Amino acid sequence: MDARKIKSTLSDIAAERDPTVKCLKLASLCSTLWGERGVELVVVGGSAIEILTEGAYTSGDLDMCHVKATTLPIRQRQEVMGLLGAKGGPRNWQVAGMFMDLLGPVESFARTPYRRVRGPYGEVLVMKPEDLLVERVLVSVYPQPDETARKCARLLAGVALRQELEMDWNEVRRIAGRPEYRNLSQCVELLKEVADELKTQNPLHPD
Amino acid sequence: MNSKPKIPCIPINGVLSYADWLKGRRARRKSSQLVAPGINRRKRSSSDKRLKKLFKGERGLPFTPTEQL
Repeated sequence: MDARKIKSTLSDIAAERDPTVKCLKLASLCSTLWGERGVELVVVGGSAIEILTEGAYTSGDLDMCHVKATTLPIRQRQEVMGLLGAKGGPRNWQVAGMFMDLLGPVESFARTPYRRVRGPYGEVLVMKPEDLLVERVLVSVYPQPDETARKCARLLAGVALRQELEMDWNEVRRIAGRPEYRNLSQCVELLKEVADELKTQNPLHPD
Repeated sequence: MNSKPKIPCIPINGVLSYADWLKGRRARRKSSQLVAPGINRRKRSSSDKRLKKLFKGERGLPFTPTEQL
């Protein structure tokens, strides 16, 4: 992407007033620029939940990880983010009227692919909802009950049960049974709760 | 016959176009509101200082109303 294109793209992102669209646009631009330098980025956390659910959850920061263990060297990170007029670094930057946090290598157990959205400035990888769901159910219970995490899990479950987000329920079951989580019964319970409210079948029902 | 208009689903495989992602926003918001009504943004986090400074006391931009999606 050349300097002129970056400039017009940045103007568009800075002018964007919808937080979810702004987030996707910035992820699209960053993914393209880092991808040109050999590092694949993926949107994670609350930003990923927002892109997948429109849950009115995201704040003014975009959380991204790199897909593989290696990332750009610090100097190169600062140079590429410098092309965007970013301030700060080397792991979080203020750019185009929001913040971008680079959280390190992604942690994923699902065998499903990252979800892919072709953003306006290039393709965006989004964290797998199977991982997000099981993780949020865990955080909603441990170390303390967490109502916000539970709402996030409900958002993912609700949008998936209404078939607006394709979820691999066998993967959800498998991940929740892994030693890293061991929360299958809590996932089943949450899915039952949401499925009952939506008057649909619980895909994690043991039968 | 099912007369419900086809809402683009975020697929496991393949790439969702930007136009289809935009087209599905209202449906996803409506589904989200059924199970977690209102604004679900965290009230606070470790990023509050920088967020509130940038967003004039808020933690982010206001969400677009569902009917405008």
